[in-house]
Amino acid sequence: MAATTERTRPRIGSHLFLTLLLVAFLFPVAWALLSAFKPADAIIRSPLTFDPTTFTLDNYTAMFQDVPIGQGFLNTAVVLLCKGAATMFFAPLAAFAFAKYQWAGKNLVFGAVLITLMLPTIVLIIPLLLEMKALGWVNTYQALILPGAVDAFAIFWMRQVITAVPDELLDAARVDGCGEFALFWRVVVPVIRPGLAGLGVLTVMNIYNDFVWPVVAASSERMATLQVVLSTLAQNITGNRIGADYATVTGELLAASSVALVPLLVLFILLQRHFINGILAGSVKG
Amino acid sequence: MTALPVPAARRAPRAGRGPRLRRRLAPYVFVLPFAAVFAAFSVYPLFFTARLSFTDWRGTGAATWVGWDNYAYLLTNPAFWSSLGNSAVLWLLIVPVQMAVGVLVAVLLNDAKLRLRGLYRVAFIVPFVTPLVAVAQIWVVLFDQRYGAVNAFLGLFGLPETGWLTTSAWAKPTLALLFLWKTTGFIVIILLSGLQSINASIYEAADLDGASKARRLWSITVPLLRRTLGFAVVLQTLAVFQMFAEPFVVTQGGPYNSTTTAGYYLYNHITRADLGTGAANSFLLVVLVMALSLLFVRLLRAKD
Repeated sequence: MAATTERTRPRIGSHLFLTLLLVAFLFPVAWALLSAFKPADAIIRSPLTFDPTTFTLDNYTAMFQDVPIGQGFLNTAVVLLCKGAATMFFAPLAAFAFAKYQWAGKNLVFGAVLITLMLPTIVLIIPLLLEMKALGWVNTYQALILPGAVDAFAIFWMRQVITAVPDELLDAARVDGCGEFALFWRVVVPVIRPGLAGLGVLTVMNIYNDFVWPVVAASSERMATLQVVLSTLAQNITGNRIGADYATVTGELLAASSVALVPLLVLFILLQRHFINGILAGSVKG
Repeated sequence: MTALPVPAARRAPRAGRGPRLRRRLAPYVFVLPFAAVFAAFSVYPLFFTARLSFTDWRGTGAATWVGWDNYAYLLTNPAFWSSLGNSAVLWLLIVPVQMAVGVLVAVLLNDAKLRLRGLYRVAFIVPFVTPLVAVAQIWVVLFDQRYGAVNAFLGLFGLPETGWLTTSAWAKPTLALLFLWKTTGFIVIILLSGLQSINASIYEAADLDGASKARRLWSITVPLLRRTLGFAVVLQTLAVFQMFAEPFVVTQGGPYNSTTTAGYYLYNHITRADLGTGAANSFLLVVLVMALSLLFVRLLRAKD
């Protein structure tokens, strides 16, 4: 807002309000990260205090022993690598065809892409699960990777980005004897690099945080992704795990949540600008 | 990646047979990997659900054709309606609050002279990038009736212990708070981008007329933001009615089904292997969500 009238006022009210919100927004994460270093019984006995002299890694050692979180990380990494790479390569490639070529069926296919963008994701869960069963893919990497491997939204977004690349640039490269794929790889990709960076962080975030499809399609202990592993821990708290006491389970849960939070937080802090671009562009997805 | 030399005089592409044919075939090759995945895992399942919704099928054996029975069963089933009701209540707890707070925060952050605005903006998006499941677990611990930090804090002021997640009166607001916490920063970002497209000279004119701050917010900013706001409302409506992971992790739909959202109710059909009903339920949900989105879009257009 153009603030010409109150140039001299230090905006105490604004800062007070924003600071309160800031505390509210950071508190749960900060509390979990800190509490994970408290002795398990202190977490539940005095949840509001932190005594640095009692700093301990017990929750982490217990968690790594009891929770298959390493396997969860490994599975998430495999999915991230394969699904992420597929989206990052094939989506801009297809988007290039949509943006810069005339071909039969183009509008029909693009219309279908738009429709799927508007559909709630849950509508596909049941038939996809049945498809996985028919293929014998339940609890496999294929099931985690292939559906949605070339994200429709990524196509939509990259098409917009590539449309803005000047045709003259492509024609000039063709005159120089550039082949069609080289046109994509050596002309388009370098030009759209900022958009690709945004797509990259958004893709990483979405795949890393994805939960609904993995929990439905691959919830076995061997195939569970990080988020699926995590989701079982709260159920321990609500009383399903026999013989575990509340404090221990809580400590392990906070340690596991912290371990899952940190990679994305670090990535976010390092790549803020790309994150914000990605989130903004990503918001058009229904 | 080196920039390609661009010749000063541009000629028409050389008319060799090979390059031209390759140029015509290239788009098909480029689109093929996407089209294959899209056809197999989006288009086909969609048609399959449509058919499935008219059958009774428990996941094994032959499916029996039942016509509109699944739809009729759902539409006359109180549990289905109460799942929609739960989602509607959550919508009321979430969307108006989020839009009000979102506009206020976005307007404050849009002030270029505000100190620390970069810090605020980053802090507000942190919840949005954190994994929902991790945060949902933290919610379970924070809001625990006996050991949670929230009750401990309120206890300092002599307030009684509240069963945030164990009483049907409080479970919905507690889930709504999780959703608000997680996504308000995202809404702020969207609204900020909307604000940036408002011409600053409009405010200068208002300043000359001596309009108060509150007056400017209500009479200039909100109307000009209507399109962006409408977009944000549609997005959040879709998200609230599909809400699944939050009740799945935090409350498992309880207590007494008070947090069985439309999305969570749909999942119940899968766990019971009642796939025909589940398919019908997803289509009903699609129709509802699309109708709501269209309604909001219409409402916003009508006022223009």
